[in-house]
Amino acid sequence: MMHNFAGWAMTDRQRAQTEQAYVLHSYPYRETSLLLETFTQPYGRITMVARGARRPRSALRGVLLSFQPLSLGWFGKGEVRTLSRAEWHGGHPLLQGEALLCGFYLNELLLRLLPREDPHEVLFDHYRQALMALARSDASAVVLRGFEKALLSELGYAMTLDRDGDTGNSLDPAATYTYDPERGPVRILTDGSEVSAEPLLQGKVLLDIARDDYRDPLTLVQAKALMRVLINHRLDDQPLRSRRIFRELLAL
Amino acid sequence: MKSPSTLEDLISALRCLPGVGPKSAQRMAYHLLQYDRAGAERLGLAMGRALQSIRRCARCNTFTEAELCQLCSSAKRDASQLCVVEAPADQLMMEQTLAYSGLYFVLMGRLSPLDGIGPREIGLDVLQRRVSDGLVKEVIVATNFTNEGEATAHYIGEMLKARGIRVSRIARGIPVGGELEYVDSGTLAQALIERRSV
Repeated sequence: MMHNFAGWAMTDRQRAQTEQAYVLHSYPYRETSLLLETFTQPYGRITMVARGARRPRSALRGVLLSFQPLSLGWFGKGEVRTLSRAEWHGGHPLLQGEALLCGFYLNELLLRLLPREDPHEVLFDHYRQALMALARSDASAVVLRGFEKALLSELGYAMTLDRDGDTGNSLDPAATYTYDPERGPVRILTDGSEVSAEPLLQGKVLLDIARDDYRDPLTLVQAKALMRVLINHRLDDQPLRSRRIFRELLAL
Repeated sequence: MKSPSTLEDLISALRCLPGVGPKSAQRMAYHLLQYDRAGAERLGLAMGRALQSIRRCARCNTFTEAELCQLCSSAKRDASQLCVVEAPADQLMMEQTLAYSGLYFVLMGRLSPLDGIGPREIGLDVLQRRVSDGLVKEVIVATNFTNEGEATAHYIGEMLKARGIRVSRIARGIPVGGELEYVDSGTLAQALIERRSV
């Protein structure tokens, strides 16, 4: 009896239910299979192999696309699980044009910064919202900044945006700051000595970012510079491929 | 038991083939040496000859033995239309439709930011030079309907439209003879979004 019970518990652990998930990237694997990097709602990033997904008549062919809400089922317990079912969920149009590049960028951030099998339900929700906004062709810069902020905070690097990292004083909207990834905003004294610091941010910009208010064009420009510094810091300054390719495409 | 090193070399060389792991490579090597030495010789010669004589067509980038491939040098093709495909296999499929009489450009890849494949790697600069020959009036983008293929199509469109070339994308939707009941929901949803007036 005991033995039986333990057996059941084992199968339960091995066979997950069908869960909401996104494919972040896929690689050809063996002759006819795909290796999928997925982001699942309850378990975070999971690697799965989709057997036979590259066969000419595979039903999975049109389903295992990035940026589309899917239901995925899988089994196994090693580092690489086996996909058992995949269903298209839908709900928003496919990404088009520049939004696709933004999507690749989001996926690269998740692949590079999110450890495997680390549950991040809140971040999953932010990711879904960001993709929906990109599919609706909302202003992509605003979508990206919002996602970057959520990503940093979910990874445990929440930004200080309301007080000076050194003095603890509230930010002066008119003053100039720089941002130290470990300390937060640091006021720059305008005697001309330290102006080489990067990024340069107006106090108002930091307060805007805290409220997710990107109506001021200056906020958009400076927020982009700030996020770039913070994300590069978390990536140990290893460059992002999607960023390089986006630059090359703009130069066409 | 230690294998002779030329045998090891052969086995590790065979592993460059797609889908061939250490076990299959070993099986192939033993098969060739044991049962089919003539086949092995033919394979070696064919490989050497192919590597020596096959190059990229100067105009469409596909594999050819001459300076220009057969299609590009044919006088019967319509030089005002240029169809952009990802791979030679795609070009072959397009030819089998018998519905297209223009010329081609084969990218030999697609934009894939996560794999570090950008415009330089797929030769978008070469495509741009090819298109500015004064004869091409319309570019038909027939890259795959994957995210990577779509991104490729978008940026080819942006690049060429800015230079006054007409760019179109092949249509997507319900397959010919398709019944809605049996079409997957993703395709149907997109077909609805991309509906056209009748």
